[in-house]
Amino acid sequence: MAERPLHEHTLGNGLRVVVCEDHVVPLAAVNLWYAVGSRHEQPGRTGLAHLFEHLMFQGSGNVAEGEHAALMESAGAAFNATTSFERTNYFETVPVSHLELALWLEADRMGTLPAALTQVNLDNQRDVVKNERRQRYDNVPYGDAFEHLCALTFPSGHPYAHTPIGSMEDLDATTLDDCRDFFATWYAPGNAVLSIVGDVDPEETLALVERFFGHLPAGAAVPGAADGRLGPISKLTTRHVTADVPSPGYFGMLRLPADGTHELEAAELATEILGGGSGSRLYDRLVRRDEIATELGASVIRFVDGPSAALIQAMGPDTEAIAAAIDEELEAFAANGPDEDEAVRAVALAERGFLESTETVTGLANSLSQQATQFGDPARVFSAPARAAAVTSADIQNVAARWLAPGARAVVTYGAAE
Amino acid sequence: MKTAPLSESMPARPTPGPMPPWTFPAAEPGRLGNGLATLHSDLPDRRLAAVRLVLDAGAGREPAGLDGVANLTASALLEGTEAGGGTTLTAAFDRLGATLNAGADLTALRIALDVPVTRLADALALLSSVIRSPALADADVRRLARERLEEIAQDDADPHSRARRELRAVMFPADSRSSRPTGGDPDTVGRITGADVRAFYSSIVPAQATVVAAGDLAGIDVEALLGTALGDFATTGSALPAPDMARPGPGPRMVIVHRPGAVQTQLSFGHGVPGRDHPDWAALAVAAHVLGGGLSSRLNALLREEKGYTYGMRAALLRLRHCGIFIAEAAVHTEATAPAVADSLTSLRSVLDGITDKECASTISALADRAPANYETARAVAAELADAAASDLPIDHPQRHLDAIRATTPQRAAEAYAAHVKPDELTIVAVGDADQIRDPLAELGFAEVEVVAPEG
Repeated sequence: MAERPLHEHTLGNGLRVVVCEDHVVPLAAVNLWYAVGSRHEQPGRTGLAHLFEHLMFQGSGNVAEGEHAALMESAGAAFNATTSFERTNYFETVPVSHLELALWLEADRMGTLPAALTQVNLDNQRDVVKNERRQRYDNVPYGDAFEHLCALTFPSGHPYAHTPIGSMEDLDATTLDDCRDFFATWYAPGNAVLSIVGDVDPEETLALVERFFGHLPAGAAVPGAADGRLGPISKLTTRHVTADVPSPGYFGMLRLPADGTHELEAAELATEILGGGSGSRLYDRLVRRDEIATELGASVIRFVDGPSAALIQAMGPDTEAIAAAIDEELEAFAANGPDEDEAVRAVALAERGFLESTETVTGLANSLSQQATQFGDPARVFSAPARAAAVTSADIQNVAARWLAPGARAVVTYGAAE
Repeated sequence: MKTAPLSESMPARPTPGPMPPWTFPAAEPGRLGNGLATLHSDLPDRRLAAVRLVLDAGAGREPAGLDGVANLTASALLEGTEAGGGTTLTAAFDRLGATLNAGADLTALRIALDVPVTRLADALALLSSVIRSPALADADVRRLARERLEEIAQDDADPHSRARRELRAVMFPADSRSSRPTGGDPDTVGRITGADVRAFYSSIVPAQATVVAAGDLAGIDVEALLGTALGDFATTGSALPAPDMARPGPGPRMVIVHRPGAVQTQLSFGHGVPGRDHPDWAALAVAAHVLGGGLSSRLNALLREEKGYTYGMRAALLRLRHCGIFIAEAAVHTEATAPAVADSLTSLRSVLDGITDKECASTISALADRAPANYETARAVAAELADAAASDLPIDHPQRHLDAIRATTPQRAAEAYAAHVKPDELTIVAVGDADQIRDPLAELGFAEVEVVAPEG
């Protein structure tokens, strides 16, 4: 999607609003980012941000239990919410005729959620979330790898050391008062960004937002965030999980620079070149040439208020051979950097990734909310290809030498007892 | 549903106006010199173009004893045009910001190209080289077969895919291709050679294939580009077997795939239904959605929102070439397995007593009014058009289906369900800890419980 004019406005209560016209399809995407995620949770209450996200669908002051979903489904809406380390987002893409209703529903739960909080709803959604944890992490092979890696990559107590799903014990311990406090602390208009993209008139849309959200009280200022800044990981830490898995698995994590820096753009390209697909160095070496792995992939998780992370995963019978081959490739990459063609390809793929993430109204609305929340500038969405293109081969080599060094990473292996 | 009192400061709930009109994007049909059918759909402002090539060479047409050869052929195509070419082909697509993917299901071998529309011509030229002269080299096939064996093991360790595999195994006749895993089993995959893959590929008939191009095609002569790229692709081998047309047989069945220590049980309820060319298909889709389409569907209202047994349950129709499968699935807490099956059966029977006007209206919106969002990208439009072609459906099938959904009445949906889904003849697969769930499931008295090993 080419750069498009954005209409930005901040309500008196602090809610930031971004509107972008896109008249190709008669849809409106509504996307609300709250700047609260698992990194804001207190010890003993991991999983609260995500559990709370579930409670946002259980009714509010003027919406009965189950009614949010029923109204959205009967509007033909695609709707959901997700909780990550740094934020919780709520979104619905509706036929434009139903934009007003979608905004009203979001405003009602932003303003009046506690009116509908009940012990019965909390207990029910706690059971649902515990089953979500079982389904996605506990009952599938390697399902808890990411949880182990975060615990090894970040020091104990660090905001990113625990994952959003939380522990069963903490979920069990969560009370209604915890939920009320969580809402009162974080779900304020000033801690949110509302983006609307689609077949809309910007002025009319801003007027609607003012009507539905403008009367909500600003609430207290949110607490300051813990400082999560860390340098590169400095040593090798390995944890072996004895498990009945189809074949041994190797999972590695390294720290990367924070999002918003030129260094992270370089690190993203470095990770792409190393393990981004079947044309990458690690894939070609481990899967195609050495045949010591049958699957390999690498990806980046971006964090703003602390180090980002690179994740490398491989399946193969000999995890020591996998580790050694990864180290050799990292060493060569840090010493010589990418060749020119690799850098060109990585930039082309970054542009393609930008097109993919912004081609739908849903994707663009989410990206606008993200950039506005994290960098105060929604238009930063459109400069992603230019930021990638500005990275030089020397930048990639430098960032790899510092952050993607051999022999220093968190590792989790799966297989029979060692 | 409780009605909460209106908070004082909140404006009244808006009443939405009528849904804006929308129709499935039109597609222009054509045919290349070698008989290959083409479809193009011009979608203004979609800068990522999508090309979908469907070949009538799915797993349903594999020669006997070579289960998985379609899938391996698809993977081997991505290895390029020269033996030992390594990353050459992938790098060439990467340089264009393009991706090429290929896979096979029972119906078709499907090739997918996504590329920024400004580089469509270059990407089609690359695709052309792959289709005309793929290497399909022995060494690559041997390695890909090894990777496939690993994937089979991973799929079998995943409760959801293991349940799907068992469901087909017990529902379809034992000698039918549909009863066996699409990607083959360890025995068949272990014996497939480069020669088998090359023979399979050489038997593909262009006149039985369709290529779809979608995106912002203004100013591009797509038919000419497709003709240059694919117009001289030809068959050289002997004909593939006719597609497997076996239909699933009725239950009741209750099969446990034993997974010792599992903290959840993956449940799959299945029943054969007619295919997409049947006049009841849309009505059946409405009934399935009423049962398990969204959070407020009957199964989710009961098993998730009331009981908390599961993170979510889903009911839908699986689309095979010649038939469909009504399926309802959920992962439930091990201790709740038998109560969850009992509650599911209650819901699955409840449609026989009717569907309310409200449920039907809501479902029609959820299925038909969501279409503009579902088909917003060129990828989604191209894939839907290609799938209709692969299943021998007319090119306007996507719009006709949406029209049929809108025309469905509550009575029609309930009647279609009653005619084609007999709740007492469902097949139930439970992937979980047999030591904990066998007796409680047997006590339900639905069917005799059979226990199979996970690798079985």
